[in-house]
Amino acid sequence: MPIHEKSLIRPENLKTHDKLVLDGIDVSGHWSTFIETRVVSDYNEALEEEISALPGGEYIHRCWQCGSCTNSCTVHAINPDFNPRFWIYLIRMGMESELLRDKDIIWQCVSCNKCTYACPRDVVPEGVMKATAHWLERKGHTPKSPSTHFDEVFTEQVIATGKIEESRTIRRFFKRTNQGLMQSWMVEMVKRMLRHLPIGLLSRMGLATFIAPRTSNWSSAASAIQEYIDEQHDKQDKALSLSELIDVAQKDAAA
Amino acid sequence: MTAKKEKYKKVAYYPGCALEGTGHAYNRSTKEVGKALGLDLVEVKNWNCCGAMEVKNVDPKIQTYLSSRVMSVAANEMDMDVVMAPCNGCYHNLKKAEYDLKNDSESAKVVDRLSKKAGHKTYETGQVETIHALDWIRETIGEDGLKERVKNSLSGIKIANYYGCMYTRPRHIFPEKDAGPGSESTSKPHFMDDLLAAAGAENVDFPLKTACCGGAHTLSDSDTSTKLVLNILKTAKLAGADVIATECPTCHSGLEMHQIRAEKNFGEKVEIKILYFTQLLGMALGLKARKVGVHENISDSIGFLKERGLG
Repeated sequence: MPIHEKSLIRPENLKTHDKLVLDGIDVSGHWSTFIETRVVSDYNEALEEEISALPGGEYIHRCWQCGSCTNSCTVHAINPDFNPRFWIYLIRMGMESELLRDKDIIWQCVSCNKCTYACPRDVVPEGVMKATAHWLERKGHTPKSPSTHFDEVFTEQVIATGKIEESRTIRRFFKRTNQGLMQSWMVEMVKRMLRHLPIGLLSRMGLATFIAPRTSNWSSAASAIQEYIDEQHDKQDKALSLSELIDVAQKDAAA
Repeated sequence: MTAKKEKYKKVAYYPGCALEGTGHAYNRSTKEVGKALGLDLVEVKNWNCCGAMEVKNVDPKIQTYLSSRVMSVAANEMDMDVVMAPCNGCYHNLKKAEYDLKNDSESAKVVDRLSKKAGHKTYETGQVETIHALDWIRETIGEDGLKERVKNSLSGIKIANYYGCMYTRPRHIFPEKDAGPGSESTSKPHFMDDLLAAAGAENVDFPLKTACCGGAHTLSDSDTSTKLVLNILKTAKLAGADVIATECPTCHSGLEMHQIRAEKNFGEKVEIKILYFTQLLGMALGLKARKVGVHENISDSIGFLKERGLG
């Protein structure tokens, strides 16, 4: 497969005039195609540093733009706009507004790690995708993605009980993202499960569990984990200048 | 080889959360196959979640800690030196934790701090070796041993072997792979192919062995997952397979769920059976289909197996 290059000329910036005469010469039609000047003036010099401060983004500075990540990418194969190499370029250049054009798809990385496998510089592009998606959310550019909601529901349950009980995670995720559980394909799936299964076994498989599995003597591990997560969150807020922003806002409100 | 043969005969068994839920049939068939082969599985005491991809996304070091606790229990409370995890996610995460603890001092510091606060011994790298169910059967019984034990050959069944992402990627957490003759390949894995071939099955040439099923977004971005699964199902079918053999509960339930979703939401029906490799091996060893949980699968293969004299 070739390395997919991203064109920096956007279709909306191409201007063609049906009738145009310049210095007495007729240049109508495609002869008169011009590219509208595009000025990038809002470089965010801290962008790379901010993304490096989030888990997964640590090695973005190693990238030498070979494009192996995009070339091997599972999501790129079904959506050509999904382009890790290009986003890493934009982040390292500080081109924030350009990056924001793709803000709604970056979270769709499926973490298959084909990019990490292919990368000759150990950038861990999969981690960079996660860090970038989190950065967009933490900075308020996008709402929390369904994927982040799922991660949070899952992690909350692990901290609370030490284990996951899948049906509960699924129910909580649907509730948090305001989706109905009775989607036609879900109903069909359970219908097919019931074909050969007695209901008692279904409950053993976790579909109707009343007693959730849990790791015993878990409470001290749970509080240690929560304490660490909170601590990291504060550190990241500082790196993203978010705590500074809150400080200023609080002082402003007090005055 | 022989050292491993003895070492893997009795292992600490880490089923993980999925095998107590949607992957129950995998749990059941793994245990039954172990019993039939005379291998000893001792479940890790009071185990916890490995952290999966979800906790890693929230904070990778917490995932490292969670996985390290499982290994610490196996080593320090059970005196075991091998942990066997049939789930690709668990297997991957324990391997990743081992790598991180060995190579990143910050991770080791965090794990030590959390272990002390949680009140258990800190896991030290090298205390246990984490293996997959494929390694376990391959090293202890092997292809020749399996051939001797086959009661119902799988002959006539065409299989596409599907390994998914986490069994081989990223390469650096699996130092024993790509290590010359006899080792597993990260680009073209073959351990499952070898075992099923020994049981008499015909493996088809399947190019998507390590493609992604979109398991990470199975519910959060279902359309992407359905497209990826559809690609896997159609390719297996085109390659001539009757069955896709799986070795991961997330892949397995992803294929089953999105096979139905593709039919319901995209109007695309692909007729192909999905079975855990342990279910196939179990039936080859003479176990009944029910015993290895075939009736628990959503993908209905009971009729298909009966026609071929299995189950």
